[in-house]
Amino acid sequence: MILWCRRPACTFQHRAGETPAPQTMTRTLVFKLLRDYRVGLPVVALLLFLFQLLWSVVSKRISTEVLLEFSRRGIDLDMLGNIVFQGPGKIIQSLLGGENIRLDHTQDMLSMAYVHPLTQIILCVWAIGRASGGITGEIDRGTMELLLAQPIRRSQIILAHFIIDVLTIPVLCLSMWAGTCVGAYLVGLTSATDPKLQVHLAAFGPALINVGLLVFAVSGITMLLSATGRFRGRVLGAAVLLALLQFLVNVIGQLWTPMEPLRPCTVFYWYQPQPIILDAQWATRGMIWAGFGVLAAVGAMGYALAWVTFCRRDLPAPL
Amino acid sequence: MLLRTQQLTKDYGRFRALDALDLELQPGEICGVLGPNGSGKSTALRLLLGFMRPTAGQAWIAGHDCWHDSVHARRHVTYLPGELRLYENMTGRQLISFLGRLRQQSPNGDVERLAKTFDIDIARPLAQLSSGMKRKVALLAVLAPRTPLVILDEPTNTLDPTMRDELMGQLRHARDQGQTVLFSSHVLSEVEQVCDRVAILQQGRLAHVQTMAELREIRRVRARFGGVVGPLPELPGLRSVERHGAEVTFEYAGPLRDLLGWLARQDVLDLKIEPLGLAGIYHRYHGTEA
Repeated sequence: MILWCRRPACTFQHRAGETPAPQTMTRTLVFKLLRDYRVGLPVVALLLFLFQLLWSVVSKRISTEVLLEFSRRGIDLDMLGNIVFQGPGKIIQSLLGGENIRLDHTQDMLSMAYVHPLTQIILCVWAIGRASGGITGEIDRGTMELLLAQPIRRSQIILAHFIIDVLTIPVLCLSMWAGTCVGAYLVGLTSATDPKLQVHLAAFGPALINVGLLVFAVSGITMLLSATGRFRGRVLGAAVLLALLQFLVNVIGQLWTPMEPLRPCTVFYWYQPQPIILDAQWATRGMIWAGFGVLAAVGAMGYALAWVTFCRRDLPAPL
Repeated sequence: MLLRTQQLTKDYGRFRALDALDLELQPGEICGVLGPNGSGKSTALRLLLGFMRPTAGQAWIAGHDCWHDSVHARRHVTYLPGELRLYENMTGRQLISFLGRLRQQSPNGDVERLAKTFDIDIARPLAQLSSGMKRKVALLAVLAPRTPLVILDEPTNTLDPTMRDELMGQLRHARDQGQTVLFSSHVLSEVEQVCDRVAILQQGRLAHVQTMAELREIRRVRARFGGVVGPLPELPGLRSVERHGAEVTFEYAGPLRDLLGWLARQDVLDLKIEPLGLAGIYHRYHGTEA
């Protein structure tokens, strides 16, 4: 429908009835969001990169110099492993996944960085921070009115954030991998002849799927909270609390049998990059694929519910 | 008809913010919505934009339901929020370009022309602009797309007097170009200055709708008589307001000759005839006129 202006002197026409191409508008939103994250994304990616790089240095040092020193002093490595990862040290295993870790194998040591709490914290900070700002951030700042006064669907805003996840999560994953690769190269692990020191960087690749899906799951949960919320601070607090609770349930569940049945209710239970890195036959393990499926489903469900909620809710007036 | 609301109602919990609003707007008119804080002005405008689902009733813009077919309805509308918040990490030009892309409209010469008229530097980051300057940028973004309907929620907030006059001029220009303008305000003078029609809200209800042309016809007559006055004449358009002994105040919207003919036959000691103005109507519903 074309609405012509009433006045004959008027020379413009409103193409008001024409339906705008949703792809173009979504693309505009995506570019705007990418612009918003132009500082945050590189910073988080750099942090992940540097931590993995640093961990490569630490791994090399532990697998060679530290363990050599223990051997010189007559300490058996298996015994050491038991002390570090079993008994009173079991909490370390819960946090770093030392179940099948051989301390003198650098590949095993490197795999720890992918389940290290710091890595998980950085990933969760990104996912929660970004997704909480997605809807509630705009509402809280008062810019959602500006956005929704334009002829865009609310679902396009959710879609734009989903696309941002699809675009940014691989960047974070690849920066982790790049950190491992550069670190391994710098400390000479890529050219090591000792089989215990040799690393297979390609083995880290599939684990990145698990890393990415964890970020997606946390992002999806937070997006749901964001789509229902009014104040970003509250949504942020709720999302952090929820993530922390899941993390603790997963850790405590490994240490305290009565709580173990609750572990599958947490996203961190399904986060299993270590077996993927260490087991060449990981593709035959159902648990790994189940982890992929659960994390993907949680993220997708979060986005779907966020979409339904946001499309139906009233937009509160800015304060 | 460009805009129509039918029994449009919105409740916030037990509080009824807007109660059965019936309003129609034709293309090429400026309609002012008046009312004190909490009278339902912003709620009405936000319902039209599809920000909220009505509790009851419906609203249509160019035939599109404002909630169920909100996207198509918003194709016909630009909106200036009352509580203005912009993307502070953008420049004025970037913001206008961003909003234009969402409307799939490439920037036209109007942007530069309006920027010059409003005396704003749209190359500056919004974070560096004062609230008044930001409002000018937002007004530019609202006026430049030339949509059939422009909705403004208290547009003159934070604007200096010169800019207010300029904005009023731009709204008249928009109307002359065939656009419809719906705006809410607290300032009676600016509504009186620019509107073709006025709607007064009182506690969420539409208390009064009147064209300004009709309003300009209404005069307030204050007369003091020498003795006791009998009943007022039955003239069309005469409405008795109050009587204090020999002093009578009434509103009259008919031909002056008829009224003056009657007054000439009375013992009039003092007489004052003045346009009623918007304030006279407004204060019927909200407070008393000084």
